[in-house]
Amino acid sequence: MANPYLVVEHLTKVYERGQVLALRDLSFAVEKGEFLVVIGLSGSGKSTLLRCINRLIEPTRGRIWLDGVDLTRLSQARMRRVRRRIGMIFQQFNLVDRSTAIGNVLTGRLGYLPGWRALLGWFPKEDREKALANLERVGLRDKAYVRVDQLSGGQRQRVGIARALMQEPEILLADEPVSALDPATSHSIMQYLEQMNRQDGATVIASLHFLSLARRYGTRIIALKDGQLVFDGLPTAIDNAKFKEIYGEDAEEVEVR
Amino acid sequence: MSGDNAAIVGSAVGDRLAVLSRRAFSFLLDWMTWGYVAYCVMYLLNHYWYTVHVDWWGTLTLPSWGWSVVVLATLELAVWSRSLGRSLGQRAIGVALQDAAGGRITAGRRLVRILLWHVSVPLFAAGFWRGGDPWHDRVAGMGLRPVSPDPERPGRRALATQWGIVALFLGVLTLWVGWLIIGINFQILARRAAQTGRIWGEMLRPDFRYFTTPDPVFSLRALSYSILDLAVVTVFMALTATILGSVIAFPLSFVGARNVMGFSPSGWAAYGIVRGFFNVFRSIETIIWGSIFAVWVGYGTTLAGILALTVHTIAALGKLYSEQVEGVSPGPLEAVWAAGGSRVQVVRHAVIPQVLPSFWAFTLYRWDINVRMSTVIALVGGGGIGDMLFYYKNQGDWPKVGAVVIVIVAIVWAMDYISGRLRERIA
Amino acid sequence: MGYPEGYLSERPPWTTGAGIQDALARRAIAARRYLGVFLLDAGALAILWILVSYVYAWYVLGTTAYTLVPWWAFAVGVVEGAAAWGSFGLSLGQRLLGRDLGPVKGREASSGARVWYLLLWHVLVLPGVGFLFDPPLHERLTGLGLRPRGTQGVAPAPWYRTSAGLFVAALLAVTCAAAVGVTVSWTALVRLFRQAGETVDFWRALVSPDTSILLDAGRDMIITVFMAVLSTLFAVVVAVPLSFLAARNLMRGPLGRPVYTVLRGAMSIIRSIEPIIWAIIFLVWVTALRSAFAGILALWVHSIADLVKLYAERLEAIDQGPIEAITATGAGRLSVLRYAIIPQIVNPYISFTLYRWDINIRMATVVGLVGGGGIGQRLINYIWGVQYRQAGTVMILIVILVWAIDYLSARLRAKLA
Repeated sequence: MANPYLVVEHLTKVYERGQVLALRDLSFAVEKGEFLVVIGLSGSGKSTLLRCINRLIEPTRGRIWLDGVDLTRLSQARMRRVRRRIGMIFQQFNLVDRSTAIGNVLTGRLGYLPGWRALLGWFPKEDREKALANLERVGLRDKAYVRVDQLSGGQRQRVGIARALMQEPEILLADEPVSALDPATSHSIMQYLEQMNRQDGATVIASLHFLSLARRYGTRIIALKDGQLVFDGLPTAIDNAKFKEIYGEDAEEVEVR
Repeated sequence: MSGDNAAIVGSAVGDRLAVLSRRAFSFLLDWMTWGYVAYCVMYLLNHYWYTVHVDWWGTLTLPSWGWSVVVLATLELAVWSRSLGRSLGQRAIGVALQDAAGGRITAGRRLVRILLWHVSVPLFAAGFWRGGDPWHDRVAGMGLRPVSPDPERPGRRALATQWGIVALFLGVLTLWVGWLIIGINFQILARRAAQTGRIWGEMLRPDFRYFTTPDPVFSLRALSYSILDLAVVTVFMALTATILGSVIAFPLSFVGARNVMGFSPSGWAAYGIVRGFFNVFRSIETIIWGSIFAVWVGYGTTLAGILALTVHTIAALGKLYSEQVEGVSPGPLEAVWAAGGSRVQVVRHAVIPQVLPSFWAFTLYRWDINVRMSTVIALVGGGGIGDMLFYYKNQGDWPKVGAVVIVIVAIVWAMDYISGRLRERIA
Repeated sequence: MGYPEGYLSERPPWTTGAGIQDALARRAIAARRYLGVFLLDAGALAILWILVSYVYAWYVLGTTAYTLVPWWAFAVGVVEGAAAWGSFGLSLGQRLLGRDLGPVKGREASSGARVWYLLLWHVLVLPGVGFLFDPPLHERLTGLGLRPRGTQGVAPAPWYRTSAGLFVAALLAVTCAAAVGVTVSWTALVRLFRQAGETVDFWRALVSPDTSILLDAGRDMIITVFMAVLSTLFAVVVAVPLSFLAARNLMRGPLGRPVYTVLRGAMSIIRSIEPIIWAIIFLVWVTALRSAFAGILALWVHSIADLVKLYAERLEAIDQGPIEAITATGAGRLSVLRYAIIPQIVNPYISFTLYRWDINIRMATVVGLVGGGGIGQRLINYIWGVQYRQAGTVMILIVILVWAIDYLSARLRAKLA
């Protein structure tokens, strides 16, 4: 009996004293090395789902098993240690604007650094070299000492990817990584994610707005609607009827080239 | 042809003036820094050497020739620090001494520059006009050039840069000298804590006997007042002053706005006069205005307080208002101009709708300040609840002082809350 | 698969802790909404009542009186008035909170239903019984309820047709009458015009400064500047750590919330006492011999309270994104503070400090007026000693100083932004 890598069971999240049900009884499993794409309308619970997995948001009910460990039962300190293995990139990049690119990338190592060294900002030499190498990998070696508020959107997202790379993640959560970017930049960012998935063997869970991107990059797709799972299968299995069911009757599919 | 030449000469002169002002400004900054250091050092010398002669506020005793020595020494220090590359002024405007060829600058060449500076700058100030670099820079083969940070190079830690070192040094010096000048003495604070503790204790057992019934002993102009009476008077003072002040500041603010007045000579004049009035009257605090008006309309009359608050309100609100008017988006203005509107119509239909919400917010903010000020303006004879506070304080009747202070806190708090909520709604 | 099932319980909601909490929260929300409307109405009526009787007493009886009736009659009148106003018209409270009393079903609320509502209100809400139900019992029985006001497609009534508008107009009129009557006396107005000549000396003195006091005044100015600098520095040292304890978004949980509330409340009280009053207290404490020290302590206390408020508000407005991102890398709480929060606040903090320094320069001159040392003390001595030429000189110096510091701090802040 081979356990799946990540299992989500009966996951429910309720906001504001029962006013808003963000996730309703969601269950699915992810195998190691998959590129799972989560699609759905805005407000369908995609972001909540991703944040529940690394417990940036505490789930109300349900379990999440990663590699046989129940994440929902871990103490904060143990959870921190698990989070080191979970990389995350964000729609709004979530970089510290006043810091340099390399400063932002280095924060990816914070989980591995003892507290006092982190406070003083004494990162080991290997970490600095690794940060430069990762910036090189995303093509931003020459911008290492530039403040990130002077970078363009695509460059900032690449800094975000380099930060996640610093963690050497086994699993990468990408929360609408390309929603704030133009189509051409979107593809380059998605290709970095694909590269991490193929070369580094990281399991990727990405939420995306556009079905075309999901079809192009995902090995499997799940769809959420009002916090419920409405589709789980291969990208090719989404036909026009399924599409209307996920996005509503009035939706038209838009291509992103 | 000749016109082109004039333009070229003009731009060359402009360039040189820019370079010159850059040098002069950074030099002035360096000189001021050294001057400040010299002042502090002199103060400390006076304090620790001639302890007997030094007053607590610190008289600087120097022999008559001493001042010229100080001036020359600070000048010299400024020149040295600039040439040796440790200049705050250069750093502040982002320039540095650099070799024209890009090589390293040896200590010898720096020395040559310092020596030449003494000859070239004071005697031949005109040397600045002979080209981009003045004479001493050209001979030494270096010049003040703008520096841009290298994106390839990691920045140094704040404390390792000269900014950090100088800031730390000046900070410590300021603390030390300030400590002596002001006579900070925490021993006395601790030693007298017991005596003061008694006063605190009395204030924390407030005496509200005269909260609603008028105090027969305390009287202003043959009328006796209760705390509540004066609290109401205080709020009314702030209210009258705010309404009066904003009503007067409103029309004035359009006269004090660049974009409304246009660029005709009369427009310039009106703008200059109104803005000057705002700036001067604003920098005199309300309470100092109060002391003037107390002389004018009588010590302890509420009208004196109201007038003081009003004058300061006009100036402060006028400035805030006219900055808002200057910040309006020009689109609607152009639309009304294009439709053939007059200047008054432009103001009425294009400017006022844009600025009204922020005008309300500023007025409420000013109302807040006026409430605070009106509680203490009685100190200089402006009337209000402060009259009672200072009366009881002079009597040493601390329980009643406590009661008045609590009422003041309640007034300020309540008005603060109300105006805060209203501002939230407007925004 | 080997994972435990049956995590979700099927118990009815009111038997679970969460269910009871939910129910209580819903009742609390209903009660708060109702109380909000009622308190606003009662407060508004009370203010109007007090102002009217105050004006009447001032102009007609020649005394000051606040209610003209016994306090219980006042209280009953206000409560009854508010209840009736809330039941029979769009009251000020309903208007402000955007609510309207109307039928839950059907079209129009009849006056019979409204009378019924008012009666039940007395029986059920005053003893508090009504709020045990959800919705409150009197609303349930009459079929009326406070609902969000629907205004789509309906032209708003002009202000003179609504009770709230009429009320506000009446309040403004009475307030203005009271304010002018109470604060502006006829004799003072007469003096304002008749004694204008008295200030001619003053204005003339301003343009003929006495240069012989420049050196002494300059020395006092140095003290004033040092007072402002040191009090700001000392205040920063205390205010920065306190600001983290006074930020709502950082202080959560049963331990954090009380600390936040107490700290913010204390700072707000300290802030509402002007530095002048603080200076009076500290002058008694350290004795008038050390006037500059007392002044600096007064400025220090007030600056701490002001800075904590400014800092904490900035902390509450920080971008949550970096915090999320750094937490997601597995960093500890201190690392999150160091890498996600502090970089966002350094420049605003410096900018607020400069702003406060600017204010402290002004305040240092004012604190001097009560004997807090520096240039202000010199000024008030000249004014009270009728030495107007010297006073004028000092005022010019103060204007120059304040201007210079204002300009400097504005330039520095513009550079930081």
